[in-house]
Amino acid sequence: MDVARIVRTQISTAELNPPQELVDGVNNGQVGLLEIVKALGEYLTSTEDEVRLKGLTFLSNTLKIVNPTKINRQATQTLIKFYLSKLDDFDSLPPALGGLTVLSKLSTFDDDAAIEVYKGVVENVNMKAYIQATRHMVYVLFDSLLATHRSALKSMGTSFLNSYTKMVDGEKDPRNLMLLFSIDRVILLEFDVKDHIEDFFDITFCYFPITFRPPPNDPYGITADDLKLALRACMASSPYFARMAIPLFLEKFATLTGPSMKDLQLSIAACLPVYGAEAVRERAGELWEGIKTEILYSSDTSIEAAALSALESLIRTLYPTDQSPAGLAQDIIKECLEILNEPDKTQAVAATKILADIFRSSPSAGKFALSQAFPQLFRQFNSPSVPSHRAPILSTISSLLLAAQSVYTSPDSQRTSRQEQSLEPYLQGILDVLREGLRTDGLKLPALQGCTACVQIPGLWAKEDVEDVVRGLDDILINDEDPEIRLEVVKALTTFSSTHPTIIESLTLPLLFHNLPESAPTSEDHISRDKYRSILSSLQELCVQTALFQTLVIRMTTKLDLLSSTKDSDVNMGKTSNFDDRECSIAYSWDLLHTLQGVINTKIKEKHGDLIRYFDQLVPRLISLVVADIAKGGIYRDRRLIGLIAKIIENLVWELSAEHQSKWIQAMYAAYEQGHWDKVVHDKSKSLCASPFRTGATSHEQDLVALYSASIQGMKADVSLPFSSMTEYLSSKMHWTINVAQDQWQTQWALDMICAFVNKREPDLRDSLETTLENVWSKEVQDTAKELKHMQRGLSVYLYIIKALALLRQPLAYSASERVIDILSLSNLDPDFVAYAASGFSILAQGKGKSHLTAKLLFAQKLWNFVLPRLIEGDKDASGTGRLVYLVAFASLLPLVPASLCLADLNTILPLILRSLSLPDPQQRSNAIIALTSILETATDSKEVDKAIHSHAETMVDSLLTSAIKQDGIPTSAKVRSISLSCLAIFPDVIRFENLHKHKAIVIKQLGKALDDPLRNVRKEAVECRAKWYRYGNAV
Amino acid sequence: MSRQLDNDNPTIFAPTASTSTKRIQKGKASLWSEEALLEEDYAVSGYGSGSGSEEDEREDIDAEEVYDLLRSITDPEHPVSLEALRVVNPDDIHVAGNRVLVYLTPTIPHCSMSTLIGLSLRVRLLRALPTRYRVDIRIKSGTHQSEHAVNKQLNDKERVQAALENKHLLGVVEGCLQTADKRGKA
Repeated sequence: MDVARIVRTQISTAELNPPQELVDGVNNGQVGLLEIVKALGEYLTSTEDEVRLKGLTFLSNTLKIVNPTKINRQATQTLIKFYLSKLDDFDSLPPALGGLTVLSKLSTFDDDAAIEVYKGVVENVNMKAYIQATRHMVYVLFDSLLATHRSALKSMGTSFLNSYTKMVDGEKDPRNLMLLFSIDRVILLEFDVKDHIEDFFDITFCYFPITFRPPPNDPYGITADDLKLALRACMASSPYFARMAIPLFLEKFATLTGPSMKDLQLSIAACLPVYGAEAVRERAGELWEGIKTEILYSSDTSIEAAALSALESLIRTLYPTDQSPAGLAQDIIKECLEILNEPDKTQAVAATKILADIFRSSPSAGKFALSQAFPQLFRQFNSPSVPSHRAPILSTISSLLLAAQSVYTSPDSQRTSRQEQSLEPYLQGILDVLREGLRTDGLKLPALQGCTACVQIPGLWAKEDVEDVVRGLDDILINDEDPEIRLEVVKALTTFSSTHPTIIESLTLPLLFHNLPESAPTSEDHISRDKYRSILSSLQELCVQTALFQTLVIRMTTKLDLLSSTKDSDVNMGKTSNFDDRECSIAYSWDLLHTLQGVINTKIKEKHGDLIRYFDQLVPRLISLVVADIAKGGIYRDRRLIGLIAKIIENLVWELSAEHQSKWIQAMYAAYEQGHWDKVVHDKSKSLCASPFRTGATSHEQDLVALYSASIQGMKADVSLPFSSMTEYLSSKMHWTINVAQDQWQTQWALDMICAFVNKREPDLRDSLETTLENVWSKEVQDTAKELKHMQRGLSVYLYIIKALALLRQPLAYSASERVIDILSLSNLDPDFVAYAASGFSILAQGKGKSHLTAKLLFAQKLWNFVLPRLIEGDKDASGTGRLVYLVAFASLLPLVPASLCLADLNTILPLILRSLSLPDPQQRSNAIIALTSILETATDSKEVDKAIHSHAETMVDSLLTSAIKQDGIPTSAKVRSISLSCLAIFPDVIRFENLHKHKAIVIKQLGKALDDPLRNVRKEAVECRAKWYRYGNAV
Repeated sequence: MSRQLDNDNPTIFAPTASTSTKRIQKGKASLWSEEALLEEDYAVSGYGSGSGSEEDEREDIDAEEVYDLLRSITDPEHPVSLEALRVVNPDDIHVAGNRVLVYLTPTIPHCSMSTLIGLSLRVRLLRALPTRYRVDIRIKSGTHQSEHAVNKQLNDKERVQAALENKHLLGVVEGCLQTADKRGKA
């Protein structure tokens, strides 16, 4: 290889990176490094600055890129010598530093070399003369030397420290400072800096406090916080700083404000433990004064929090051991207690925080604080100067208990209540005030907090104490009218039940059940209704635990049974008042069942194993209720109750094992298809003796389809079924749905059943499905001789089967959906039917939802990518009102996919969404608005998306305003108005003001009308939306 | 501490007036819980019908709703809501027809912030109530030294307008209103 020629070519063409050929040569040993140096010879020594610089840069670049093991000891030595000789050459310095940095990392670079290089740099480089990038290179070299040859530099002693502080003095660039602070910290921690501490103080504390504000669009991304954290770490690196740093801190208290004050407090918090008790004690009083001002008077909560952490650090530093806290802590506590003499003032809140802070900081000072505070607080509570003082006093007591709880129960704290015994002397007093608090209006919330804190501290309360408190809590739960307080009580009891479940079971539950009425309150009796609802919501929270759930199941089923029998006699009297009573009972049963459902769902979510044990106890009982009442006309034949029971059954069936499931399905099959009900009902005497699917079944009997449907929907895919021909089963259900079902309610349950069945048994049905679909299409959907309702049901069945298959990504789903798309263009069909087909895409858009259907990954994307282009094409080909159906189909399908998918193809989709905003149907408009909302909310860096939403912003705002305001002649709904408003409220956050500044006045004016919406929830959205638009474009 | 506060240690009250409502539900909602009505809507509408079957029973703006609009406005001197300072109270708000009357209670009788607080209340209601309402904001009688002067200032359209043209003043008001949307929730 002709090294000389290569080098010559590179230099003369100013291509200063070594060609691959040369690098390979060095790496495989063909070319020696010194050969390259020789070849570069004339350039490296050239008198022309430019040429010399090129030569050097080429050499350094080569070093950076070649395999480091190829640089042998001799080469290293030679190169170091060479580079050192270039350090005093102004232009050559950057490449020389780069080369040295590479060399310093090599194993052939020894301690002597490190010292030599360091000295060379210090002696020859005048930092002030160079730009930031070059200075940065110097620091990078230092950093590298310090990392690899720290002990050598340490051995230099004073001369290193002296020269280092001189070198870095006066640096101002944040990029360099970030590096320097980390180097400083290493030196401060590892080197013997005691005698040079003043110099180090000068080069670190001169930057405090940091006021740097990054320029807009700063490419380096260094924030003020980065610098603050790095500097703080330096300041807290050496205890020798204390002598100079503490006076500096004290001085800064008077002058700093805002973020700098926060920085100061946090720096104090970081530094004091390092500086040590000795040094801090001298000026502790003054430090406290500075910290105190920010805790008591600051209006910025983040500064207050910083000051509290400074205080915590101060106390922790001063009182690390168990010895009694003489001096400052006593003064602080005394001061706080004086403030607490006026417990209803803002400063009392701060004083409480200070006391809690002291408790957390130090065991000794903490114990002392409690011993001083509790007696005074108890006295104040028991004989307050003004009655209204009791609430804040109790709050203070509870805050202290909360602090104790957080310390004693935190997993990483060493402190335990048993060991410190800080609360024990005051147990009686604490119990007394808390019990008094639970009894008194206005004191209940703070008392609750205190109780919750105490019960969580292990071993603090004896069983009798807990029982006593639980009785107090129960009393509130039953008698207090404020739902917020009751909610807090339930939370407290839930905490209690995790440590003392038996007490809750034996005291609270019986009381709650006792207070549930035997029969439903009358429709005018709002008070009783609110009361039982509150008891139910308490039960729903409490009974999730295994021990308590059993009681719930037993008590609830008994209650439900009772309700079924009480109304027996009145039902057929036909008076209006009786109808009201019946409706009340139904509502009451609904609430009971809903509670049960809530608990079951929570247990499912938390995967409680005990749940399925109750299946055989619960489900047949629920079915019994319905079946018995269908015969005798009782309340449980109400569809709302049947629907709710069906939902409960679906969730419970899903939790069963496959074996248990197949037994259950078999029993249901026997009941529904053959009329043998004995295995699915609890009370066999009241059971039905026939199939609800038989010809001549009453409409009420047919309602039972819901429970059957729910069992199929909860079924798992691999369950063995009691019948042989899946195809026959399916077609019998389809026939029932299209021809027999009475109304929308029954049809819906049947459709969900068909969908679930096809979805789960697709492998069994695969061979026949195509024919099945074909039959439905040709006989039910396309047959225009049939009435519209019939065709619609046929189409629904067809679409639900497509949905079941699309979830599995079965090809049949796509070819079948094409037919539905084709209908949209047929003008010879009944336009009502075409419109129905278009909005039918909402069935496909449902996706998996909360159902137990099987869904494959990316099924939604696949369906979307299949259907959307066809809709777009249809839309293009159609004209006039013919396009509308495509838009309806598009808007109906929209909920299928997440915003991210729309963003990918925004230029096609956004115009469609915008057009959909003017569709007449509020539901379809809602779909478009929801999609638009999530598009706007999804943060994206894409310039294209940004451009698209900005260029359409005005149109969007106009359309949304139309949907947001209730006007005569435009169909609307509360939902569409309220989501239009919440969507409009996003614009000020995502659209740059200059794009919409003309619209601000219009929007504010139009929203004025929305403020007068008849519905309160819509008005609320309107108010907040308008408030945001008022702020839009105002300088912050 | 840049400026001496008027009242550097005001009394704070626990929110005893809970967020619960004393409104009595009408019609179906009186008997059925919210969840039940939601389910029912779903069951009735199914798919495709979505015909906006909502019952348009008008819920009129009442004192509670006005209180909700005002309660979480921040005090100009402390990071505390007007609710916690009891500057506005639910019982001191009256709504009748198209008139709204709000009494505010300054924390101390010589509070110079009363006008500013009153102005914040006015701006909030100006923006949040339909134009058909006439709003009166008054100092609760006997709670402030210069009650009449403040009342006059707060209810004079032109003075309010002039105040809002002052950029600095508007900035302070906007600051107080930042938290207004919390409506009593922390």
